Amino acid sequence: MNAGVATFAVSCNGEDRTGVSTLQSEAKLNRFFAEVEKRALRIAEINIRDRDEALDLVQDAMIRLARNYAGRPDKEWAPLFYRILQNRIRDWQRRQVVRNRVMVWFGKGNEDNDYDPVAAAPDPAGRSPDEELQTHEAMQSLEAAISGLPARQREAFMLRTFEGLDVAGTATAMGCSQGSVKTHYSRAVHSLRETLGEHWQ
Amino acid sequence: MNERNDVTAEDTFSEKAKAAFDESVDNLDGETRSRLNRGRQAALAEIDRKRSAWIQWAPAGGVAAATLLAVVLWTGNPAVDELAAPAMAADIEILLTEDSLEMLEDLEFYSWIELSDETDEAMEPANNVG
Repeated sequence: MNAGVATFAVSCNGEDRTGVSTLQSEAKLNRFFAEVEKRALRIAEINIRDRDEALDLVQDAMIRLARNYAGRPDKEWAPLFYRILQNRIRDWQRRQVVRNRVMVWFGKGNEDNDYDPVAAAPDPAGRSPDEELQTHEAMQSLEAAISGLPARQREAFMLRTFEGLDVAGTATAMGCSQGSVKTHYSRAVHSLRETLGEHWQ
Repeated sequence: MNERNDVTAEDTFSEKAKAAFDESVDNLDGETRSRLNRGRQAALAEIDRKRSAWIQWAPAGGVAAATLLAVVLWTGNPAVDELAAPAMAADIEILLTEDSLEMLEDLEFYSWIELSDETDEAMEPANNVG
């Protein structure tokens, strides 16, 4: 009888510990998502030039990370999350290429792909109009220049500069070697500086 | 010297780009932030759904495991094999008993009798004539 009670008590404690640990890991994941989601959205948006689609891709990446990798050490989350997101972005871009070809075949242009960065620009907050205009214009020209980069250079630049991943994390996110990351990043910066000219020097 | 200048220029450029990017992130509108928040909650709900699915299927898994164990224990019972082996041996024993050989000898005997009867029948008219 006593043994039965003891077993029950141990079992209850075990469940408590498991529950607490699950809640802690859920809270950690929540903090991680809250930290990266806005930057991830902007990175996706710069890549695909559509905020609604970018929101869907970011949400999908968050769900996939939570479903498949929530149990992994939290240090691995950022590279894994961006790897998922980059894959989803590439898939989206491939689908767009096919869709555009089909539309051209049927004689219809891509009418809904006219991206207007000014219309999609965020609301200003606490800056003078001149400052706001300067920053906005700077970001606009930067986005245009980034869009002109080859895909791998674009990924390396955004993950290193915007997200702040180190070389190893960027390599994991891009699924390539650290040497390739350094090469892509260096070429991207060189190309962007040339494109943007003295305004950005 | 030039290389160091290039690195410094690259760093300066990256810092400026990061500042402009951060600015655009900070200026995201309320609706977008709200949609991101909803997306995050949906992702976190996925963990709960996965866990509750596991808990839901755990009893069924337990029953399946217990059934499998019972089947293995039942079919893997050595007593069944012990019974089957002597049965096969008994069949062979029956086939090889002396009775069976005697039966074969009897067959030869019956065949000889049949043959001799036919011979007698064939001889009978001659005897009658005699």
